[in-house]
Amino acid sequence: MRHPTEGVLRRLLDEPAGVSEPDRAHVAGCPVCLAGLATARRDAAAVGTALQPAGEGTVDVPAAWHRLAGALPAGGAEPAPAPVRARARRARAVLRRPVVAAVAFAAVLAGAGTAAANDWLPVFRTEQLQPVSLDPADLVALPDLSAYGDIEVTGGDGPQQVPDAAAAAAQSGLDVPAVATLPRGVTGEPEYQVVGELGATFTFSADRAARAAAESGEPAPPPPAGLDGSQVRLVAGPGVAAIWRQSAGVPALVVGRAVAPTAYSSSGVPFETMRDYLLSLPGLPDDVAAQLRTFAADGSTLPLPVPSDRVTTSPAEVDSVPATVLETRDQALAAVLWVEDGVVTVVAGSLGPDEVLAVAEDLD
Amino acid sequence: MDLVQHGRPAATVDLPLAGAVTGRASSRAGRKGVAVSGRARDAVRADLAEVFRRDYQRVVGVAARVLGSRDEAEDVAQEVFLAFGRSAVPAGEAPGWLSVAAAHTALNLIRSGRRRASREETVAATAEVVAPDVAETVLTREDRSRVRAALAGLPRKQAVALVLRHSGLSYAEVATALDMSPGSVGTTVRRAEAALRKELIRHASSD
Repeated sequence: MRHPTEGVLRRLLDEPAGVSEPDRAHVAGCPVCLAGLATARRDAAAVGTALQPAGEGTVDVPAAWHRLAGALPAGGAEPAPAPVRARARRARAVLRRPVVAAVAFAAVLAGAGTAAANDWLPVFRTEQLQPVSLDPADLVALPDLSAYGDIEVTGGDGPQQVPDAAAAAAQSGLDVPAVATLPRGVTGEPEYQVVGELGATFTFSADRAARAAAESGEPAPPPPAGLDGSQVRLVAGPGVAAIWRQSAGVPALVVGRAVAPTAYSSSGVPFETMRDYLLSLPGLPDDVAAQLRTFAADGSTLPLPVPSDRVTTSPAEVDSVPATVLETRDQALAAVLWVEDGVVTVVAGSLGPDEVLAVAEDLD
Repeated sequence: MDLVQHGRPAATVDLPLAGAVTGRASSRAGRKGVAVSGRARDAVRADLAEVFRRDYQRVVGVAARVLGSRDEAEDVAQEVFLAFGRSAVPAGEAPGWLSVAAAHTALNLIRSGRRRASREETVAATAEVVAPDVAETVLTREDRSRVRAALAGLPRKQAVALVLRHSGLSYAEVATALDMSPGSVGTTVRRAEAALRKELIRHASSD
């Protein structure tokens, strides 16, 4: 098929959901498009950084209103607005960064953005589907794994809207989390979405790995016996999400749940062997490699790489399960994620961290 | 601050908006912008406070991306809201209108050379930010001002689309605000980014 346009590749970085499934599937398997995607990402990251304003991000809205009122014709201004009630309201007024949208969306995308657990493959998938949930630097630095073998992606249908929670549960096979008390400012009935299982099979090619290594100027270490042609299968999802929309931008609240990604060897050497060999190849930066090893070491936590220039993370607990709280630096959006029994749950929205935690604690 | 306090306020915000926000929303915004400026002394729209509270920070954010300085961005936001207060932009179109207005007004400010040295930029110059960039470029203050100058030199639509996208507007929102198809937003933003990135690299290699 023809290559998607540069514009499509660009949108894939920000809004994968806005890109058609055939285009996404094409890009996932096309070295030319992946290279174009990497360039687009690098340009976007560099420009984003250059445009980042200096100084603190806080704005004193009441003071600004006062100033505006002074410049308006006498009698034309209303009394100053009541002190801004809070983060939730301000949050909704503030610009929506794509970050938590991505985090929220990650749940819908069957964990593609969660990069959970035990291998590099979800990270690779993430690069294609949820780039904003990784540090841009890491992303760009992550080698294009198609240089090391073949990747075949299956499933990932959706997200597809279903009429209600019962239908969502029936279709996904997951318990659909119910929110007992909605945070202030979030109203109405949610929309339910379901996404099918997403799978990826990676077949290692010693020849291609050697060529890729040669291009980086260093010889590849000899691969372990039996690695050539070995396959790894990664499966994530299905997933389900309840979404409370607001008039524009990021949803007010998203509660999502998905089967966390798991990887296993489908033939050949054990998965760990392949992972460690890939980690040892030239071209993989040390910090990324170290990060990936950490992923492997502890499948029960949710190592979620985030763009640290935009998002802060902090540990928390949800019903005694370790969780990670993310908040955009402009405090516009927050999310909390945790993994329990192989299922990742996320609560995200244009809310404060305390609010998403309260919702998380309150889930049925 | 002085942007608003002296000189001719509000109605003179050079409604480039009128020309640049195209399509239905803008023709209306533009037309009313002109019509309304005649009675600027006595009419302020009733929903100004509400819209201000909701969108002020967003408008500052858009302008700050263009200018690099939040102080200056607040000046621009004041100008934009004054114009908005006297306009008859439909409430539903306000967020897009305000964002586009902020981008244009800020870009005009750069082009006009009316900028003042900003306190934050001075501070920032002493603590350079390391860009999360594959090239591991350290973006100096000069780099940033060069990018901003290049931004102001781009075709207006490209520059505004880029700024809106980097300010967090969705593709659909950018498309509506600029009367483009959502499909062309990616292309437009991509072109702008490629041009700015080239500007960064050109100087990095010639240094």
